[in-house]
Amino acid sequence: MININIKEKKYKKENILKDVQISLEDSEFLSIIGPSGCGKTTLLNIIAKLDEDYDGFVNGDFSNIAFMFQDHCLLPWLTIKENLLLISIDKNLDEINRLLKLVGLENILDEYPNKLSGGMARRVSLVRAFINKPKVILLDEPFISLDYPTACALKEDFLNFCKEFKPTVILVTHDISEAIYLSNKILFLSKNPAKIIYEFDNPNKQEFNLKKIDEIKHQLLEKYPKILEGRL
Amino acid sequence: MNQTKFLSIFIFVILWQSLSIAINSSVFPTVVDIVVNLFDHLINGELIHHLSITLYRVFLAFIISIFLGVIFGILMGLYKKVDDMFDFLLIIGLNTPALVTIIICYIWFGLSDFSALLAVVINKVPIIVINVREGTKAINPKYTNLAKVYKLSKYDTVKNIYLPQIYPFIMASARLSLSLIWKIVLVVELLGRSDGMGFQISMFFQLFDITSILAYSLAFVLIILLIESVILKPIENKLGKWK
Repeated sequence: MININIKEKKYKKENILKDVQISLEDSEFLSIIGPSGCGKTTLLNIIAKLDEDYDGFVNGDFSNIAFMFQDHCLLPWLTIKENLLLISIDKNLDEINRLLKLVGLENILDEYPNKLSGGMARRVSLVRAFINKPKVILLDEPFISLDYPTACALKEDFLNFCKEFKPTVILVTHDISEAIYLSNKILFLSKNPAKIIYEFDNPNKQEFNLKKIDEIKHQLLEKYPKILEGRL
Repeated sequence: MNQTKFLSIFIFVILWQSLSIAINSSVFPTVVDIVVNLFDHLINGELIHHLSITLYRVFLAFIISIFLGVIFGILMGLYKKVDDMFDFLLIIGLNTPALVTIIICYIWFGLSDFSALLAVVINKVPIIVINVREGTKAINPKYTNLAKVYKLSKYDTVKNIYLPQIYPFIMASARLSLSLIWKIVLVVELLGRSDGMGFQISMFFQLFDITSILAYSLAFVLIILLIESVILKPIENKLGKWK
């Protein structure tokens, strides 16, 4: 169970976040959507305890968390094996190999990240995120700047890992379809300061196909045409 | 060595040789004279003696300076408080003429090897600190965040996150300080030691023996080039093999 209550977050005297309250059950998948620059990444950094300069609290078990950043964020001076072993708590190479195989990667342990394609590097960072069987995973638009098929494959791999490890997930994105496909709860944020303006429950997410996702998306946008700009 | 480099050295040697033949003066020896002189000093043993003493001092001063410079550079780059505390000393260190430091050290601590080393270290640490501090400030915060999120140990963070980002700056200051340190060691020896290259060169100066001065310098430049290519360059290649 995670409880987040951010009364206020300021940056250079400007209010970025205001009265953001989120509570999540274990293994829930939450997406946060908001206009760009509204403070989504700041919110994620607060939850990850990377930013502790705010008024409010974040409660929950954060002893074992993972973070997927906007880029793969693999250390370029370490090989894939060294990158994964560095993060791994039990240093179990067999498990690393198993996870890599599940995302379709083999024989890359001794390569350096700059030798991999963008999609491959993201899949390695996906493996890294799940390597310690985290209880909480935070994602900061990890599927952007990938071509459509690569992003789809990565999302599917991600969902498969979620089924196996059952983490609580918080995904920041600006893509409604992505949020509908992946999550069972979606929060929409406004801008300057970011507040929660709408909450969307999405309980049957796994059964969705593309058509159904489009349908839900259009219903939402018809009802609230400016929701992506942060207004109802 | 590639062809262009070889050619440029060749042209320089030829130019020097022809110029000295044209001028024909005892204070402008030919390349051949210098090399012959170098071998003379080598055979009678005093070159090796003085060279090894100077090299030993350079080595010690280099190790101590790099060690202190890297530690203070990293601390000053990481922590604003440390930076504020030592910034003032850094500016003094950078702007005090080497000659002043050397003389003060000799007067305060006597004409000893300790004073000589201290003077060199005081002179050279600030340059290394500045380089390493800038490198530390340039550390990419996304990798630091990664270390925080995954709760890496201090050791792992320094070894795998900080140092790989700082090492180009450390290597640059290592090479820079090696070339600066050996020159300043000669001055220190000239002013207050009774052995080493600097002392020998001051003797040759009094005898107006330009050939020996150039022969000694040549020997030293060759040794420093050797250290560069045998020690520093391979380390750099090994650290940068991911690029």
